[in-house]
Amino acid sequence: MTAELHRRMNLKSELNDSELLRLMLAGDEEAFALLYHRRHGGIYRFASQMSGSDSIGDDVTQDVFMFLMREGHTFDPAKGTLSAFLLGVARIYVRRRLRAEQRLELFGHIDVDDDDSPILQQSDTCPLEDLTRAETIESVRKAILSLPEKYREVVVLCELQSVSYAETAEILGCAIGTVRSRLHRARALLLTMLRPAVDVEQRDSATVKSARCFA
Amino acid sequence: MNCQRFETMVSELARGQMMAAEQRAEALAHGNECDDCAARLRDEEMLTRGLQSLAAKMEPLEASRAVEAKLMEAFRARQVVVPITKRKWNASYWLAAIAAMLLIAISIVAFRWSNRAADDRRQAVKIEAPQPKPEVNDKSKEQFARDVEKPDDVDVLPQRSKPKRVRPVRPDNAQVANHATKEIATDFIPLSYMSAASLQEGGQIIRVQLPRSALANFGLPVNMDRYNEKVKADVIYGVDGTARAIRFVQ
Repeated sequence: MTAELHRRMNLKSELNDSELLRLMLAGDEEAFALLYHRRHGGIYRFASQMSGSDSIGDDVTQDVFMFLMREGHTFDPAKGTLSAFLLGVARIYVRRRLRAEQRLELFGHIDVDDDDSPILQQSDTCPLEDLTRAETIESVRKAILSLPEKYREVVVLCELQSVSYAETAEILGCAIGTVRSRLHRARALLLTMLRPAVDVEQRDSATVKSARCFA
Repeated sequence: MNCQRFETMVSELARGQMMAAEQRAEALAHGNECDDCAARLRDEEMLTRGLQSLAAKMEPLEASRAVEAKLMEAFRARQVVVPITKRKWNASYWLAAIAAMLLIAISIVAFRWSNRAADDRRQAVKIEAPQPKPEVNDKSKEQFARDVEKPDDVDVLPQRSKPKRVRPVRPDNAQVANHATKEIATDFIPLSYMSAASLQEGGQIIRVQLPRSALANFGLPVNMDRYNEKVKADVIYGVDGTARAIRFVQ
């Protein structure tokens, strides 16, 4: 019995997302389980990287797959991949949760998983120079979280999730050029945040030098 | 390549994105020449490494087991509900579809049947109404001479207030009229002073009775035994009041 189940699971694991979705909508539990295992990680990471909260990651993952059960028939393979479709749905749920969190913060009910430490530890060393240290990675994470939402989205998708520009544009519903320019701007902001204050001053003076370089 | 152009592509360069080999070579060459741009590239590369480290660190993260358990439970619960509603919907859908098909089929049959009935009626009328070919042209010439009756005065057909425009050379009309009145008539004979084209203008038909000798004027044989009797004729008068054609009726 178990061997038969494994055999069936193996057969289905060769199916693509669209075919699994079709089976899932027809009531195939194995197809749903396979689809969940294939796609839930990306959705969870996207949600938690966007919000900085594991619980929001869990909630959004659950909401997205509940949505898929209800509205899975609205997915059109001709318009893009199921992965992009799910990330697009996840983005909506994340934004909704973040708005709700902001409203709670306004009323003083702050419930964030992260501690209240500043993005950059006050130290003499530049975080970018020692990326092997766990705290440095943590500071990068916090820098991403402090980005405006539209820049954070592209960083999470393009840099952390390795989603292509085209797919990111599809998820965000904008042009590829917009994705590129937002990513460029987001990286510039991250660099500014990750550099210690002194270095920023040096950077300012360097900007003047680079102006000379133009000439 | 200048610094401004370098700046637009430094992120792509540091991220190892696809770009034209020529452009990449130019950008790297510029980085070697310009210290600021070289520093800028180093920063971007370090940021890329930082982001990659973060991505690698977060790669194994996934939703908790509880989420999966809840979703599977929800999926099974949905399984119980959905098929029932689905089956109901399917049944009603199929019933509606069958009803629609039946309605369409009945409409088509009824339409065809009514058409066929109409055709049959038309056919029957045609069979019942054999072409009352006025046996005039050849046969009637002699018959007229024998069978003309009633030496009455001029008998005018029911006239209308407006003069009725008729097409004189329409055998069908003549045949139907003859059939209705059980009369036999010759074709309309254009009067000698009118051209055939003038018959097309139409006019008014007036039934008259003429002396049998008039038949001779149109080259028809005259039965001398009934020489004193009169013969019926339909005369077409044009709108100008002149006689255009005549036919003899038995």
